[in-house]
Amino acid sequence: MDWLTNTIGTSIGKKLLMAITGLCFCGFLVVHLIGNLTIYGGKDFFNAYVDHLHSYGPLINVAELVLLTLAAIHVLTGTILFFGNLNARPERYVVNKSAGGRTIGSSTMPYTGFLMLLFIIFHLFNFHFADHENQTVFEIVANAFAQRGYVFIYIVAMIIVAIHVSHGLWSAFQTIGASHPKYTPLIEGVGIAFSVIIGIGFGFIPIFIFTI
Amino acid sequence: MTTAKTINLELKVWRQKGPKDRGKLEIYDAKEISTDMSFLEMLDVVNEQLTLEGKDPIAFDHDCREGICGMCGTVVNGRAHGPEKGTTLCQLHMRHFSDGDTIVIEPWRARAFKVIKDLAVDRSAFDTLIQAGGYVSVNAGGAQDANCIPIPQEVAEKAMDAAACIGCGACVAACPNASAMLFVSAKVSQLALLPQGKPEAAQRALSMVRTMDELGFGNCTNETECEAECPKEISITNIARLNREFFKAGFFSSVE
Amino acid sequence: MRLDAKIPGGPLTEKWDRHRFELKLVNPANKRKYDIIVVGTGLAGGSAAATLAELGYNVKNFCIQDSPRRAHSIAAQGGINAAKNYQNEGDSVWRLFYDTVKGGDFRAREGNVYRLAQVSNNIIDQCVAQGVPFARDYGGLLANRSFGGSQVSRTFYARGQTGQQLLLGAYSSLSRQIALGKVKMFPRREMLDLVVVDGQARGIVVRNLITGETECHEAHAVVLATGGYGNVFFLSTNAMGSNVTAAYRAHKRGALFANPCFTQIHPTCIPVHGDYQSKLTLMSESLRNDGRVWVPKKPGDTRPPHEIPESERDYYLERRYPSFGNLVPRDVASRNAKAQCDEDKGVGDTKLAVYLDFADAIRRDGKDAIEKKYGNLFQMYEKITAQDPYETPMMIYPAVHYTMGGLWVDYNLMSTIPGLFVLGEANFSDHGANRLGASALMQGLADGYFVIPYTIGGYLAGTSFSDVTTDHSAFRDTTNEVAEHVEKLLSIKGKRTVDDFHRELGLTMWDYCGMSRNDEGLEKARKKIQELRGEFWENVLVPGSNNDFNQSLERAGRVADFLEFGELMVIDALARKESCGGHFNEAHQTEENEARRDDENFCHVAAWEYTGDDKEPGLHKEPLVFENVQLTQRSYK
Repeated sequence: MDWLTNTIGTSIGKKLLMAITGLCFCGFLVVHLIGNLTIYGGKDFFNAYVDHLHSYGPLINVAELVLLTLAAIHVLTGTILFFGNLNARPERYVVNKSAGGRTIGSSTMPYTGFLMLLFIIFHLFNFHFADHENQTVFEIVANAFAQRGYVFIYIVAMIIVAIHVSHGLWSAFQTIGASHPKYTPLIEGVGIAFSVIIGIGFGFIPIFIFTI
Repeated sequence: MTTAKTINLELKVWRQKGPKDRGKLEIYDAKEISTDMSFLEMLDVVNEQLTLEGKDPIAFDHDCREGICGMCGTVVNGRAHGPEKGTTLCQLHMRHFSDGDTIVIEPWRARAFKVIKDLAVDRSAFDTLIQAGGYVSVNAGGAQDANCIPIPQEVAEKAMDAAACIGCGACVAACPNASAMLFVSAKVSQLALLPQGKPEAAQRALSMVRTMDELGFGNCTNETECEAECPKEISITNIARLNREFFKAGFFSSVE
Repeated sequence: MRLDAKIPGGPLTEKWDRHRFELKLVNPANKRKYDIIVVGTGLAGGSAAATLAELGYNVKNFCIQDSPRRAHSIAAQGGINAAKNYQNEGDSVWRLFYDTVKGGDFRAREGNVYRLAQVSNNIIDQCVAQGVPFARDYGGLLANRSFGGSQVSRTFYARGQTGQQLLLGAYSSLSRQIALGKVKMFPRREMLDLVVVDGQARGIVVRNLITGETECHEAHAVVLATGGYGNVFFLSTNAMGSNVTAAYRAHKRGALFANPCFTQIHPTCIPVHGDYQSKLTLMSESLRNDGRVWVPKKPGDTRPPHEIPESERDYYLERRYPSFGNLVPRDVASRNAKAQCDEDKGVGDTKLAVYLDFADAIRRDGKDAIEKKYGNLFQMYEKITAQDPYETPMMIYPAVHYTMGGLWVDYNLMSTIPGLFVLGEANFSDHGANRLGASALMQGLADGYFVIPYTIGGYLAGTSFSDVTTDHSAFRDTTNEVAEHVEKLLSIKGKRTVDDFHRELGLTMWDYCGMSRNDEGLEKARKKIQELRGEFWENVLVPGSNNDFNQSLERAGRVADFLEFGELMVIDALARKESCGGHFNEAHQTEENEARRDDENFCHVAAWEYTGDDKEPGLHKEPLVFENVQLTQRSYK
């Protein structure tokens, strides 16, 4: 298995890990968003969706475990890459100026990533590890988003996610080598559109709940 | 040529005696600089002045002064090779600056490129990279007729696009992570595209990438600053091709 | 000293085959017992170092740049000739040979040039095998274009970066040998002297340009591939670092210097535009395939080009040379440009320029087609001049570009010092008095890939060597002399900078030993150079110390040698009382102002021997024998 560690252990290999795990998260975001959209159907519709989801039982636990593993890989590898990159330029420039290649997304990836990690922990404690015995999921959500502070935090977090994904999706394709003059502009466009949809899709839910 | 005028500038130049010394920015006046001068000719003028004043002239690498040897290169106001797109420092002309400008001039900065003196850096890491596999193993004497293998024009052109790299190091200097991916990908792409380079493609991709990591270059995070600063405008599609070549070699070839 | 070129006997077409058979061989196992020093990593040096290492020799390779990939061969734009006849135009080895001998105005050796034409085809094969991305036609086969002095399309090219691609090919082979440990690479080293032991070249003394240390290296043979001396003119298309020092120090150690006055002034360069200018930029000769050269018919015409109607333009090359048109050889094109400017028909601010106009070609083939062929050249022109050549004609003027003269070598490329071989532009061998476009790349690679690997074996196998290490007294003495020279340069502490001297020398050379020469001017130049040299050694200001990365000191050493070498050029020009190729003596011209050779008295190579500081150099003549071509007045009409 030397060949595997030798391949994955290189800078490109680590980037591949980031790309694949990142793409998986993009997929997860889609599923998560579709699920969340049921909230617009009202309390019962939403709770029915939750029940349906929970009916999968152990499968859900497996999915959670997979997500956790992916997250661990993404975070750990990202951290290694981040410090490796810092180390590659011990003396910094006095003047820094972009030639126009960087975007807000690309230049903030490690930072938005770190903030997302904090948010996800926060989010899990809010919803996942909340008291599920005495209240429905809808009630948990409704209670949380009745507070301005929560709404604010979630909206900011969704903006951060959108920024992260705006670079991440395209970058993942580039890393796995999917680049072609015919399709790359499309991928870049889809990346931006995706980040906007994710940002607005998730970000509007707290506002919706807050206003009802 | 008819629009030449003279401008006065303030330079802040990185001065560093040797690789182990601490450096700092020194301020110099560059007076009566003709806008037809190249950036390096402007530095020549400053150096002549420093010499006559009994001071140590600024050390900087340069040779062909026509944008092809890749020897020159400094970071000018935060931009590798200065503000013009697709231009080496020697081809950057002073008409792109205005009277009274302050220009900060720093050497390429990367762990893999040590400063030798002032603005001159050691880029031998690039040679080491090519030695790791940036060649076709063919001895002089045994080649078949050059027209034996037709190469589609489009492929030859793509290979040439990649082969245009001058090895100046601007990609590393401009990369926020000091990554050498554009340089490595240009060579890997050129040789992976051409039939002559295919037999060794897997070995080349693996070996060059590993060497790149060992030399202390950073990781590519697809910021595309390299492409934006490359004086030969080499595209990051080459980086995607390198990634493909690397995965092919690492996961699907029998090369160790 | 009798100069023996060692041209093999027999018919021209069989000389090289026969010679290769007659050369002694070093058996493969014994090759590793021989050390070879190669100085320079350009097309000649890089290819030689790689190829000798492939054969099994231990090679030490030196260059002044930070990487072997930066040698000035990289700047060659247009292409490389070969007699492939892929275009079915009737080209052949013999035609390439003939064009080259004629292009050189019959001042090159038949044997050498024929060999060059023979191996030209192998070069293209070798380069393609290395992965050089030559231009191709739609069917995938190699494309060609035409160059000056030839009526067939035999030039292979990679956009306007052919030199770069060929050099990177040689560099990749070299890199492979470095990785294999067969070549030890020494970048940022400048050769400051040759070490001769018992009459054999056995090593070199170099300065480490980073630390200033003097280093000694011994070997069984030394190969110089250190390029040309065009920078004696200060302004030239050469790289800033190009210099004559290695060749000139070898000359002082006993190697004869041949035809130093044969310099090539390239017709299509961006004109000079200021006193501060540090170098001139070439616009590839390939542009003359599609560009038309013209000046206004009326002297003193200051109208911008688009206001000058067709009827008031003089396409003087097409008019004077209808069969070759804009593709006359370089010397002819350059002299004609100068003649037009001398008649006050020059254009631009300085009046020292002519137009190179692409309007017709763009109309005929479309802008895209022109961009594909010359895009990078047009871009380079625009960057330097801030003018768009798609819209307005380019302005061009001749500039010093290449030096045909160089260290004298025999058919084996060995100088008059046994064991000292000289390749590429540094030798004098193949181009006579004028080099044709796209022939320099051909010669450099021919010497490195396909000539030196055989001939150096013949020398090594046929020579007995004493054991020499760098402890030998010859190394000690030479090192001391080098150190003394460096100390002297640093100790003067005068008032004029090195560049200041260099600029003045260059101007003198350009004015009196440039595109056209006369005895009076040459005498004057000689005196001026002597005076300038005298002042240099009393008044030069070299800052810093020896134990440092000291670029001023590097330049000072080079300029010191140029100040001696420049005089040798003038002496050679004075001695050659004829006009041929790049050497145009105004007293020797036809009624139509073309160069008039004197085959009776000057059909020879003038090889100069160093006889001591401030002493007259000794002239040795190697007669040129033409058995296969007839000496004619060159005509491109």
